Amino acid sequence: MSDLVAALDPERVQVGDVARRLYSRDASVLRGGRAGVICFPVTTAEVSACVVAAVAHGRDFVVRGAGTGLAGGAVPCDEPVMIVLTRMDRILEVDESRRLAWVEPGVVNLDLSRHLGGTGLHFAPDPSSQQSCTIGGNVANNSGGPHCLLYGVTSAHVLAVEVVLPDGEVVVLGNEEGDSVGYDLRGAFVGGEGTLGIATRICVRLTEDPPEVATLLLDFMSVGAAAETVSAIIAAGMIPAALEMMDQRVVEAVEPFVNAGYPTDAAAVLIVELDGQPAGVADEIMRIGELASTHGARSVRVAADEGERERIWKGRKSAFGAIAVIKPDYYLNDTVIPRTKLAEVVERIYEIVEEQDLIVMNVFHAGDGNLHPLLLFDAREEGVMERVLAAGEEIVRVSVAAGGVLSGEHGIGLEKKRFMSLQFSPADLEVQSRLRAAFDPDGRANPAKVLPSGASCGHVTSLGRLPEGTWV
Amino acid sequence: MDSEWLASMSTCVQCLGCETACPSGVPFEELISRTRAVMSSNRRPPLRIRLGLRLLGRPRLPRWGVSVLAVAQRLHLVPRTGLLPARLPLGGRHRRSAPGGDLLVFTGCVMDACQPEIHDAVEDVLVAGGRSVERTGAAVGCCGALHAHAGLHEEAVARAGMVIAALPGDRPILVDSAGCGAALKRYGGLLGTPAAAAFSARVFDVHEWLAANMEVLPEPSGRSAEPVVVQDPCHLRHAQGVHGAVRDVVGPYATLVELDDEGLCCGAGGAFQMMEPELATEVRGRKLAAIGRAFERSGARTVISANPGCAMYLEAAGLEVRHPMQVVAEALEDRLGR
Repeated sequence: MSDLVAALDPERVQVGDVARRLYSRDASVLRGGRAGVICFPVTTAEVSACVVAAVAHGRDFVVRGAGTGLAGGAVPCDEPVMIVLTRMDRILEVDESRRLAWVEPGVVNLDLSRHLGGTGLHFAPDPSSQQSCTIGGNVANNSGGPHCLLYGVTSAHVLAVEVVLPDGEVVVLGNEEGDSVGYDLRGAFVGGEGTLGIATRICVRLTEDPPEVATLLLDFMSVGAAAETVSAIIAAGMIPAALEMMDQRVVEAVEPFVNAGYPTDAAAVLIVELDGQPAGVADEIMRIGELASTHGARSVRVAADEGERERIWKGRKSAFGAIAVIKPDYYLNDTVIPRTKLAEVVERIYEIVEEQDLIVMNVFHAGDGNLHPLLLFDAREEGVMERVLAAGEEIVRVSVAAGGVLSGEHGIGLEKKRFMSLQFSPADLEVQSRLRAAFDPDGRANPAKVLPSGASCGHVTSLGRLPEGTWV
Repeated sequence: MDSEWLASMSTCVQCLGCETACPSGVPFEELISRTRAVMSSNRRPPLRIRLGLRLLGRPRLPRWGVSVLAVAQRLHLVPRTGLLPARLPLGGRHRRSAPGGDLLVFTGCVMDACQPEIHDAVEDVLVAGGRSVERTGAAVGCCGALHAHAGLHEEAVARAGMVIAALPGDRPILVDSAGCGAALKRYGGLLGTPAAAAFSARVFDVHEWLAANMEVLPEPSGRSAEPVVVQDPCHLRHAQGVHGAVRDVVGPYATLVELDDEGLCCGAGGAFQMMEPELATEVRGRKLAAIGRAFERSGARTVISANPGCAMYLEAAGLEVRHPMQVVAEALEDRLGR
């Protein structure tokens, strides 16, 4: 503690009970242990000093951004030193001609694109939480977002990272040119969920704004018809910039907030965004309209202006936030399945949830088969957690059995590590653990996350009722 | 309630941006107001703030106090802060209005004393639109917004009762201070009586009322050459949700420049700038950066703000700030050849 205060300043080192409770949680329902000391460094040197102080005193350290994670990646286990990067929020340099920017990890995703307004450039990864999540967190989780269907996930947009390694040494992985000389350590680091070190400066690739954008809203009287339309669009060789699905319950929850004119009586809606040269976009609008009609779309609406486009997207991106209208808690599963099996797996999810007597909202990145079923519940109800967990586990099993993967974009964190062996053989896991040890031989960086071995802390199964009087 | 908890709760500027952002509609204002009331009953706000707020609650006293301060300002005895306009009026400049107009203009306490020229502008615009106006004047006094904001619940309730009693009838009450307008609109919830709810239903931000009655405004003869940057006070944008009306009303008369910060707070927050000066300055720094970007982009040099608290706090940082109604009044003045 005194080492940390000396390295930062007293204002930026917290040990109060409120702070320790606040920084023990992320945006999920997952519980681990309690945060130890909470530090708010503002420079790379300070981050390094925090790491050195933690390790010198035999403590683990956990890095954290805005706390919007949904897999418990930033949830502390054994009273670690929490290194919170939200105050490292400067955009250091924008090089328009080379289409790159150096940013600190605490820069909020949307703030970067907003800062670039007028330059004709933007940062492509756009998680739904983009108005609060940080770019450091995007790097840690290799985050996606609706537009990653066409533009690729975060890793494709990170050219270089300055990293504080778990022994306090500062290195730069990758380079501004994006060439990989030797092993691509930058590639290994992105998606490391804070287990390989701490990113303190990030060089991101900027993407040119498309000359023409069209946003379509398609509505269907069955989820199956919507899912088949998705498969048909991809099968026809088109890759829209984004292709999202929301079911009726989501639409009903968000429409009063955004007034986007979503049809609340439809079983499902698809949001399709097309971009590129005007002629190409016009052609794709026509082809998608035809495909949709053949697959039973009730209507196809093309947003008339920027305002309408924004409202349609705001509805999609507000879905998680609108859940409290229905229930106070949710558990979200982030799995990926082959697009050809969308209709079948989504149907099965409704059945699983029905069997457990729960409510589900389906809102997801349909274009790349990335499901986000949200199980809604009230944690104060006796026994509800067991049913939620049983349903969650079954959804993961069904997804993997369908040829899918454990996680699309939210990371493994605490939540999914027990499922890692469903997807990876012991040999695969061993190799991953050797990669981790190469960066962090003593296992101080965000331990007990991602890999199933060495677990000492909070599984999802430790979820329980809130203690009396808890309000945080 | 330990000091850490109190610090967490008292560092909220109450901009209510969270309410605008929340898709689930969590009533944050209600929650923080009740929390603040409990906090202030356990630990009173600093004496100077309580005294200051008590003075505001006394009808006529603010005008007298401001005259004294105005003299002191001219003798360079008053440091320049965000709490007072850079040049206070010496007094004797208050227009009187005859009783019995179609519309009431709520003049409040600080604005009534410090910035009567803004009420003049509102009156000029409404009169140019063929309406007759009665000002509520110094006798009605303070709406209690600052008291409520500081958690002084009883004082806020008392002020609300007095204001309602002083303004019977059913004439619309137009307000040119976003903070006061938000407070008057909350009387129904604050007092929980049908009379208070009926009173609140008569309250409109002046831009809100004009936007709904645009036909009363004279045709613009052309926009004023100089662009102005629109600053949305939190109490207009988040609390009342009528910031669009400022654009509807001023748009025909001036070129408007938007900020790129989605209605970020300026940091003033009523008494917040006194209670948490460092944090308030930090928040204002972000606002100034956004305004700086807008200036650079557009060549504008003036900001318009529909709340006196924001206006004075931004002026204290060296900006030229005007009330939107002053811009409209000026455009109409040119047109009417006055």
